[in-house]
Amino acid sequence: MPELTFTPVIGIEIHIRLKTDSKIFCSCSTNTDAPANTNICPVCLGLPGSLPRLNNQVVEQGILTGLALNCGISPKSLFFRKSYFYPDLPKGHQVTQCDFPITTEGYIEVHDDNGNLKKIRVNHLHLEEDVGSLHHSASDGRLEGADTSYVDYNRCGTPLAEIVSEPDVASAREAVEYVTTLRRRVIYSGASDVELEKGMMRFDANVSMKCSDGRWGRKVEVKNMNSFKALERAIEFEIKRQKKLMLNGEEVLQETRHWNDAKGVTSPSRVKEFYRKFIVEPDLPPLIITQEWVDRMKAKMPEMPDVKANRYVSEWGIPREVADVITDDKNLAAYFEACVAAGANPVRASHWIRTEVLRVLNENQLKISDFKMKPETLAALVSRVDDGKISTTQGKEVFDYMFANNSDIDETVSKLGITEGGVVGNALNDIIQSVIKANPDVLEEIKSGKDKKGKKLKFLQGLVMKETKGQAKPQEVAEAIAEAVK
Amino acid sequence: MELYEYNLHDLLEKLNSKEISSKEIFESCKKRIDSCEDKIHAFITRTEDFAKSQLEENENPAGIFAGVPTVIKDNLCTKGIKTTAASKILGEWKPPYDATAWKYLREAGAVLMGKANMDEFAMGNTCGNSAFGATHNPNDISRVPGGSSGGSAAAVSAGYVPFSLGSDTGGSIRQPASYCGVYGLKPTYGMVSRYGLISYGSSLDQIGPFARTVEDLQLVMSVIAKYDPMDSSCFREKTHDFTHSENVSIKGKKIALVKEFQDFTLDAPIAEAMNKIKKILEDEGAVITEVSLPVVSRYAVACYYALAMSEAHTNLERYDGVRYGYTVNDASSLKEMFERVRSYGFGSEVKSRIIAGTCLTEPSRCEEYYVAATKVRTLIAQEFSRAFGEADFILQPVTPSMPPKIGEVDDDEMKGYEADLYTLPVNLAGLPGLSFFTGYSENLPVGLQLIGPRWSDADLLNAGVIIERHTGSPKIPDLN
Amino acid sequence: MKLTSEEVNSIALESRLVLSEQELAGAVRYINNFLDMLDRFKELDLKDVEPFSFAEALECPLRDDTVVKFNNAGAILNESEHVDGPYFKVPRIMEE
Ligand SMILES: [Mg+2]
Ligand SMILES: [Zn+2]
Repeated sequence: MPELTFTPVIGIEIHIRLKTDSKIFCSCSTNTDAPANTNICPVCLGLPGSLPRLNNQVVEQGILTGLALNCGISPKSLFFRKSYFYPDLPKGHQVTQCDFPITTEGYIEVHDDNGNLKKIRVNHLHLEEDVGSLHHSASDGRLEGADTSYVDYNRCGTPLAEIVSEPDVASAREAVEYVTTLRRRVIYSGASDVELEKGMMRFDANVSMKCSDGRWGRKVEVKNMNSFKALERAIEFEIKRQKKLMLNGEEVLQETRHWNDAKGVTSPSRVKEFYRKFIVEPDLPPLIITQEWVDRMKAKMPEMPDVKANRYVSEWGIPREVADVITDDKNLAAYFEACVAAGANPVRASHWIRTEVLRVLNENQLKISDFKMKPETLAALVSRVDDGKISTTQGKEVFDYMFANNSDIDETVSKLGITEGGVVGNALNDIIQSVIKANPDVLEEIKSGKDKKGKKLKFLQGLVMKETKGQAKPQEVAEAIAEAVK
Repeated sequence: MELYEYNLHDLLEKLNSKEISSKEIFESCKKRIDSCEDKIHAFITRTEDFAKSQLEENENPAGIFAGVPTVIKDNLCTKGIKTTAASKILGEWKPPYDATAWKYLREAGAVLMGKANMDEFAMGNTCGNSAFGATHNPNDISRVPGGSSGGSAAAVSAGYVPFSLGSDTGGSIRQPASYCGVYGLKPTYGMVSRYGLISYGSSLDQIGPFARTVEDLQLVMSVIAKYDPMDSSCFREKTHDFTHSENVSIKGKKIALVKEFQDFTLDAPIAEAMNKIKKILEDEGAVITEVSLPVVSRYAVACYYALAMSEAHTNLERYDGVRYGYTVNDASSLKEMFERVRSYGFGSEVKSRIIAGTCLTEPSRCEEYYVAATKVRTLIAQEFSRAFGEADFILQPVTPSMPPKIGEVDDDEMKGYEADLYTLPVNLAGLPGLSFFTGYSENLPVGLQLIGPRWSDADLLNAGVIIERHTGSPKIPDLN
Repeated sequence: MKLTSEEVNSIALESRLVLSEQELAGAVRYINNFLDMLDRFKELDLKDVEPFSFAEALECPLRDDTVVKFNNAGAILNESEHVDGPYFKVPRIMEE
C-alpha cells in the first residue's frame, strides 16, 4: 500500500490597523497609548442617539491597501451590523463591510517550496471598526484570582482593514511569506505602518487537510496569533495534529481553536462561537468611490517591494538575498536607488548598504530616515573605491569617519591624509629614495647579492608601504624598489 | 385670554413688541402644567428649573424663539438632563450631549419645560406602553393620546407649551397629533438631523414638530430643518424655505385618494372628515384624483414591522448595563449580567420586538423575511414615486378609528399593527406627511393626513395653511 | 405554528433575554402571528427586485481626518456604576 500523503489547505484572515489620525466613525484620536478611556466620545462608546460618520482617510487607506494587494475597488460598497454581545463592543454589534466590501478579488505572489512564484488569491478586503481592549488582571496588576475584566475603549473604533485570502496557502512557510510580503506591500502603500509590536497586524488561519486517499478533513479556525512566529508555529502545530488524527482514522472536528503561544499548542476555544447575523447599517448610506478617485490613489502608489526586488535581481544582477534585505524597508530602497541614480554601481552600492550602512544603523539603533549621509556622498565613495582611487580598507575608514562626523567626502579624505589614486610616480620614488638612504646597510647587502631569498627587498617594500600609509599598490612598490636598487 | 393659550406665532409677536415678557409666559405655562399634569401625565421629567436657568442665562436673546417654552419627547438627548426613552433600562442616564434638533431650538432661545412621555423606545401607538405610566388625551382623559409621541402631542393640546418635538417611525407624530387635535409634521427622511434621537428603526425614524397652527409648524421647521454633519443621512444640497406666505394657493393641484383604501372601513367621523376636506380642496381649485397603491395596501404593514424590528433589535443591543443606565452589581458572569439587565430593563412589547427582530435576521431566516422586506420596500417606494408622477399630494386618513379608551387595547397585536396602515408607508418611502385638524366630533378632534413626494414639506405645509383657513385651528380643552 | 416555545426561548437567550413562562407563551403566540403576517411576501415575485436600504440614491458623506477631542469623557465614565480608576469593569471573561 502506498504511503499516505497530506496536503494542507490554508486560508488566512488578517486584520491591519490603517494609519489615520482619527477613528473610523468619530473624531477621537487613534492614539491607543493614551491613558485608558480618554479617547472616547458618544459615537465610539455607542451612546444612545449617537450616529457614525465615515472618515475619508480610512477610505483612502482602504483603497491604497486594496491596490497594494492587486484588488479591484468596488464603485459602491455598504456597511453592515455584525451582532454579538461582548463588553469590548459597546454597541453590541460591530460595523463592518462583510457582505459588500470596498474591494473585489486580488492576489499576492509568494514562492512555493520549489522556489517558483505562485499566487495566493485575496478574496476581498473590507473596512471595519476595531473593538475596545480588555485587561484580565486586577487593577493593581494582580493576575491570579482577579474576578474582574477591565475595559479600555481607546482602541474601540480605530480603523481596520480585514484581508481574507482564498485557501491557497500550502504550508506554514508559505503563510509566513504571504503575510510578510503583504505587510511590506501595505507599508509601501502608506496605508499603515503595521507595527507588529503594537498589535497592528493580527492573524486567524483556517487549516484543513487533504489526504491522498481522497479524504478531506474539516476546516479548523485557529485564532489569537499576533506575530509571524506565532502564525508559523500555530499552523505547523495544526498540520501535525490534524495529520495524526487522520492517520489514526479519526475525525477532525470543525471548530474554533485558540493558539496558546506560551504552551505552543492550540486548544478548543472555550468561548462559545458567537451568534452572528448581519443587517445593513441604516446609519451609513452606500460608500461611492469614483474611478477618478481610484486613479488618483493609483498615481500615489509606489512600486511594490517584491516587484522592486525582482527588478534589482533581473536588471542589476543584485543577489536575491541582498535585494530582499534592501526592499524590506521602503526608505532604504529609496536610499539605494538614489545612490544608483547618483552614479554608483548598483551591485557595489547594494553591498555597501547591506554591510556598512545597515551595520552602523544597527549599532546605533537608527532608522534609515535618521541616516545623515547623503546618497550622493555614499555613491561618490563607492565610485572612488570602484575606480581604485581609494582602497577598500581606506573606503571603510572614510565611511566610518563621515558617519561619525557627518562630514563631506573630500574633507574627510584630506583629513585622513589620503592621497587619491594612491602614492605613485615621483612621490613614490621620493619615498623609496628616502627609505634607501635611511638603510644603507640593507642596500649594501642587496647590491652584494647576499639577498638570495629576496627577504631584504621585502623588508624595504614593507617600510615603503608603511610610509605611504598603504596608499601605494604593492606590485608597483615592488617594481619601483627593484629598479631603484639596480 | 391666558398667555399659555397663545399659539407660537402670536406669542412671538407679543414678545417682540415687549407687550409681555418671557418670564410671564413661563409662569403662565408652568401654572397650566401644575393644574393639569395630574390628569394628563404628559411628562416623564419636568424641567422647569432648567427652563428658569435658561431664562436667567438668556443664551440667545435675539433668537427667534427667545423665551418660548417647549417640550421634547424623552427619546431626544438632553445634556445633563435625564433621558429615558420611557424605558427602565436607561435608569437615571444623563446624556453628555444634546440632540441636534434640541440644540437648534435651544440656540434659538427655546426653554425646556419637560421631557415628554412616550411608548418605550417609541414602540407603540397609545403612549400607554411607558415604564412611567400612561398619558391621557386632553380632549377626553379617559382616552389615549396616541403614540408613541403621546406626551408631546398632549402637552401642546393641553396648552402646556405652544409647540413640541416628537419622533415618527411609523406614525408616531401624525397619529397622536390626530388623536389630540393638533398639527403634526413627519418631515421627509433626512430633513431633520437624527443625531441624539435614541434610535428605534433608524431608516424610518424622523424628528418633527407639533403645534396648534400650521404656521407654527412652519416656524419650528425653519429652525430644526438644518443640515447637520453629525447625521450621515441628513440632507446636504437642498435648502428649504419654510417662511409663511399669505398668498399660497392649491389651484390646479392634483390631490389623490388611494383607490385601494376606499374599500376599508373608517369610523364615521373620519369618513365624514374625508368628504369635508375633499370639498374644501375642490373649492380651493384643486383637482381630486385617484392613485393606485396595491403593494402598499396589502404589504406595507408586514414590510414595515419586519424592517422596524430588524433594525430595532440591533439598536437595542447596546443596553447591557456596563456603561450607563440600569445595571446589577452582583452578577457572577457577563452573560448573567447582560441577561438580568435586559430582562428586567426592557418592557414586554420591546422584548417581543427584539425577539422578532432577532428571529427575522437569523442566518436561516434572513432571506425569507429581512431581505424580502427590504425588496418589498423597494416596490413600495417605486409605487409612491409613480403615484407622485400623477398627483401632487395624497389625502388619506391617519387612523381608521377614533382614539380608544385607555386600557381598551386589542389583545391581538397584529390587529393593532394593521391600524398603522395609513401612516407607516410614508416612513417606508421616506415621505413627508402632515397630520392636520379637521374639526370636532362630539368634543373629540378628527385629523386627516396629507402626504407629498420627498422634500415637498414646505408645499405640504402651505396646503395645510389653506385647509386651516376653512377648518379653523383647534381649541385648548378646558381641563379644570 | 412556525416556532416552538423552545426555539423562541433560544432566540430570546441569544438576545440576552430570560423570559418568564408567561412571557414566553406570549412571545410564542406573538412571533407566530407575526411570521404568518410576513408570509404575505410569498405572494410577490421578488427575484429581480433590488433590496432597498436608503430613502434616496444617497452617497455616504465623508468626514475629514481631523482629531476633535470630546471634552466630556469624564461625564461618560460618571454614568457607569462599573468603573474602577480609568477603566470600565465587568465580571471576569475567560480569555480562551
Ligand atoms: Mg473582522
Ligand atoms: Zn469617539
